Amino acid sequence: MIIELREFTRVEGNGKAEIVIEDGEVKDVRLKIIEGPRFFELLTIGRHYYDVPDIEARICAICYLAHSVASVMGIERAFGVEVPEEITLLRELGLIGELLESHALHLYLLVAPDVFGYPDAIRMASKHGELVKEGIALKAFGNRIRELIGGREIHGINVKPGGFGRYPTTEELEAIERESAAFLRLAKRAVRLFASLGPYGEKAEHFLATDNYLWGEKLIAEDKESFHYAERIEERSLVYSFAKQSLYGGEPFFVGSLARLLLKGEQLTPEAKRLLEEHREKLSTGYVSYNNLAQAIELVYALERAGEIAKTLLDRGISGENVPVEPKEGEGIGYVEAPRGVLIHHYRTDSDGKIAYSNIITPTALNHAMIEVSLLKEARALYGEVDEGEMVQRLEETVRAFDPCISCSVHLVKF
Amino acid sequence: MMGKLKLGVFELTDCGGCALNVLFLYERLFDVLEFYEVGEFHMASSLHENEHYDVSIVTGTVSTHRDLEVLREARNRSNYLIALGTCATHGSVQGSVEMPIREKLKAVYGDESNPMRAMDSKPVVEHVAVDLAIPGCPYNKEELYQALMDIAKGIDPVRPDYPVCVECKLNEYECVLIKKDLPCLGPITLGGCNAVCIRSGLGCIGCRGPLPGEVNPASEYEILRSKGYDDDYIVRKFKTFARWEP
Repeated sequence: MIIELREFTRVEGNGKAEIVIEDGEVKDVRLKIIEGPRFFELLTIGRHYYDVPDIEARICAICYLAHSVASVMGIERAFGVEVPEEITLLRELGLIGELLESHALHLYLLVAPDVFGYPDAIRMASKHGELVKEGIALKAFGNRIRELIGGREIHGINVKPGGFGRYPTTEELEAIERESAAFLRLAKRAVRLFASLGPYGEKAEHFLATDNYLWGEKLIAEDKESFHYAERIEERSLVYSFAKQSLYGGEPFFVGSLARLLLKGEQLTPEAKRLLEEHREKLSTGYVSYNNLAQAIELVYALERAGEIAKTLLDRGISGENVPVEPKEGEGIGYVEAPRGVLIHHYRTDSDGKIAYSNIITPTALNHAMIEVSLLKEARALYGEVDEGEMVQRLEETVRAFDPCISCSVHLVKF
Repeated sequence: MMGKLKLGVFELTDCGGCALNVLFLYERLFDVLEFYEVGEFHMASSLHENEHYDVSIVTGTVSTHRDLEVLREARNRSNYLIALGTCATHGSVQGSVEMPIREKLKAVYGDESNPMRAMDSKPVVEHVAVDLAIPGCPYNKEELYQALMDIAKGIDPVRPDYPVCVECKLNEYECVLIKKDLPCLGPITLGGCNAVCIRSGLGCIGCRGPLPGEVNPASEYEILRSKGYDDDYIVRKFKTFARWEP
């Protein structure tokens, strides 16, 4: 017997789960990505590199800058273009804005209703209006940073190979330095609130992240040795889903805030580091449900780091100079931490600067197997104990902890 | 005060941005909620009421049979249907891959079988009649806010009917096409975005689709050719967001 659950809500994109029952026991759980395939790699094959980051941004609205930055990095590495620290710091600032926007949306508007028992944040606002407003304010601040660096709240085109269309002004950077300090109080309150959630879902045995905090030259895992994705990750197609599944040494693994904190805690800012130590015991158990708490700690990190970057750039002054980009035949991989985990853009280019090969691997695709084992564990514990409505609710909470981005996950390619 | 209007938000296959952009109305979302009650909004709420909607918003392209079923349900249950965003109005980026569905599946998944019933991506307007089409990747949220308010008051929403160049000139931005030789589709693209990408000093990529009526794509083509862009580049640029014209 197969129990087909209704489509997940309060997640980004369209997905659902089915539970396979045999002899009165839960045999298997399948995560079905039912969002249609979008063929992004096909869309960029043969296209001139200049237009590619703008198209790749359209893979996902919540993390469009992660996609454009990963795309730009992949293209620059294929051409052997190196950019100065001013440009990497500004890109990092954009990624921080995106992390704030995305985590605030996820925690305050999608997860908080579970904490207080409401179907959504709109209805939750009747009793917890302040909290909803805080979440919206943080999200709006993150979006202001995205607009500044990316050119628009959603799908701006300001991030280009070799630099930016427009650089921020002194006044704009001063505003970021000022506001990020002002929001810190809210973020610390979020840590207290989301520390109460969990544990549920499965414990992750393996964690993966990029080597720098929000982007990298390569990936790292528990052993801290850096590696390219193809050396340790294998992908497989599934008949029941538009997503492909990835495994690490044959086993499921986790990417996202929890992985970043556990693998790169030493790179955190002072207050975030202190909060990590305060909650380390809980977080190190590896339960994926603690990803919510990890995201709240990252809100603190993001605000502190945004202030640091703005200050550094203000002290040095913005030169606003782009690096010349000479197209050539080559191969490059961009590694970025999207808010929900590692994002990989891999390209080969021809001598005219056109894309000859493209492979994009998204965080939710990387987490796909881990989501399934977490659902299986929950379903086994719940089957026969609670009714189907309660079961869906609890399984949804488990999926939601991954902050899945289903739109992203549906177009993995191997040529 | 009269009862609130029932609002449905339905997402087909897309990046999630058009639904997200509704949430980006921030505090003004509460103004909208003075007139509307949300019956279905799967990104934001766990409620499913599945009944009658006074106004429905549909985002995304029809890319699977499931999308088509959702769209037909939304149309059948709604008095007023808004196709929101360039996926819904013109097919956007995923609508522009010109290859039969089975070949696409083979290229991406290594197998041309189609257990998940994927279809060639087409905009909402290719499948059902709509009452209002608001393009943009993403659309300008001010435009949606105004449209929802107008509809609540029984006013026919105003639609922009000028190219991006108009707003570019009003903002006094430098022309990036003529002065910087950048590929800019502003002259042939529907305005309403406040020329936001030209603000970044970059060319319009045409995300709001072609301006209907008196546009002159031939002249745009000639200018781009004279700037050194080749045929293949120009054709792909033109078709990126709007392979399907409503």
